[in-house]
Amino acid sequence: MSLKERLYKVWRALVWTFDPADRAEAGKAITRNFWLHWFPPRMTKRSLSWSYSLWLGTISWVLFVILTVTGVVLMFLYIPSVERAYWTIKDLEYSVSWGWFLRNMHRWGAHMMVAAVFLHMMRVFYTGAYKNGVSHAARREINWTVGMILLVLTLLLSYTGYLLPWDQLAYWAITIGVKIAESVPILGPKIKFVMAGGTELGQPTLIRFYALHVMGLPLAVLLLFSYHMWRIRKDEGLAAVEQFRLAKKRKDLQIDTSGEEPVYSTPWAVRRIVLVSLATLVWVMFLATFLDSPLEEPADPSWTPNPAKAPWYFLWLQELLAITTIRTPWFTINGGFVGGVVIPGLMGLAATVWAFLDKSPAEATGVWFHKSRTVQNIVFTLGVLFIVGLILFAMYFRGPNWKVYWPWAWPELPEII
Amino acid sequence: MSDVKKKRREVLKNIGRLVGYGVLGGVFAGFARSLWPNVLYEPPKRFRLGKPEDLADGVNFFPEQRLFVFKKGNEIWAISAICQHLGCTVNFVQLPEPKVLKVGNLEIKEEWEFHCPCHGSLYAGDGTIYAGPAPRGLPWYYLEIDPATGMLIVDTSKEVEKGWKFKLA
Repeated sequence: MSLKERLYKVWRALVWTFDPADRAEAGKAITRNFWLHWFPPRMTKRSLSWSYSLWLGTISWVLFVILTVTGVVLMFLYIPSVERAYWTIKDLEYSVSWGWFLRNMHRWGAHMMVAAVFLHMMRVFYTGAYKNGVSHAARREINWTVGMILLVLTLLLSYTGYLLPWDQLAYWAITIGVKIAESVPILGPKIKFVMAGGTELGQPTLIRFYALHVMGLPLAVLLLFSYHMWRIRKDEGLAAVEQFRLAKKRKDLQIDTSGEEPVYSTPWAVRRIVLVSLATLVWVMFLATFLDSPLEEPADPSWTPNPAKAPWYFLWLQELLAITTIRTPWFTINGGFVGGVVIPGLMGLAATVWAFLDKSPAEATGVWFHKSRTVQNIVFTLGVLFIVGLILFAMYFRGPNWKVYWPWAWPELPEII
Repeated sequence: MSDVKKKRREVLKNIGRLVGYGVLGGVFAGFARSLWPNVLYEPPKRFRLGKPEDLADGVNFFPEQRLFVFKKGNEIWAISAICQHLGCTVNFVQLPEPKVLKVGNLEIKEEWEFHCPCHGSLYAGDGTIYAGPAPRGLPWYYLEIDPATGMLIVDTSKEVEKGWKFKLA
């Protein structure tokens, strides 16, 4: 071995290069690395492409990590007490060094995560990525179900999170949330009692939501996320790989996969993961720098802000539960139950079950908008538009006393988020 | 192994499983039960409103209890300020002049109304719901005079029929 080669070897031993020399090294680079060991040694180029997955799952995960790190720091600065919670948030804004930045990052991370997880779900639907293609081992509909639960957990994390400042927004959001639970027939009052830790909102309520927010729900997300990742391996990769398998198995379909042969996960996947992580972090920091988080007045049970609007991702539910009270001469069903539980519950259930019922052909797996899935894509889009439409309507057209206004007729424009 | 032995093993195995799951289930039931409060450190549902003669004529609002107390002549009545849809505090709205509101086949004479800011439930002067998503009207509560102190007492755990009024002697 020449001196140059020797030096190069030393150099490589000192600073790990993401550029393996052969297949064995590429495999070891993955399996011997704690952070990467759950990846396969090689991945198809299509699974790694920007345009196929849009990397929304990775973005969601990076946001979760950002939220965990900022959240742990915030735990040192926040006191979950009804007397002091509000003032510790005020301190974050005005007396803690970089407190405003921490809080803004945490808040924007949370908003972005709700959006990223939802968009991830849309991507999976439109690409038929819950389908199994020609794989015999894959059960991707299970991962779709897990994803649905993760979406609900993300929403619950946001909900429990925005209660913690114990300002007016927090207080009235808790009130409405707890009352939605109470509107469930028969069991409702008991669920409400255990959620609130009493017959009215107070310290027991705050500490319950706090414990859920900082421990219970993140643990559940972590567990399910790990399972989500494990399943991708057991399902033999992302659904995009099915196109590669189909191309080999069924020449008659004439699927063009040239230039999509598997490549080493390191550097190909690792480089993109690092890029996506950095971009996500920079984007959240950018938002946190320029857009401040609002803080309303301290919680005041005797006075409800008018109008009292939920954050954007819950506005569609608020709109629904305000218009879905069912009245008959014999009985009345509270809109809180119909619009707050039944309708969103059925929508979620329908979306979950559909992955098990979708009988479109194998070649519709892992491609955007396959023509055999046009009808279901349209139905799904209508569902999404229903939600988005209700959000926009509640955001821009609902004014004081929840009356309908033209957006420009408002005395002051409603806050977007 | 004889059949009897096999059977005995199966039975013992099942007993083992049962005990195992039973213990786990019991422990978790206990954990869940601990979240069910036995003692509530909340303001009592029955509380003093002060001396009846100190109440203003017309509307009195008790923000902590979220309660409207009305006094007219020698009659006093209490109506909840908690919207029956999802629990927001309703606003008291004084009408410019008394009017008669028709709700179904009811005719309600009213001088004020209650409007909920959250989802737009509208209640007539006696708490009857006439528009919006609330499934029922605002509840009325029981009032009494404490004979020892002469204080007016309301009990928000005791709902009374709409129109029930306490008469001062």
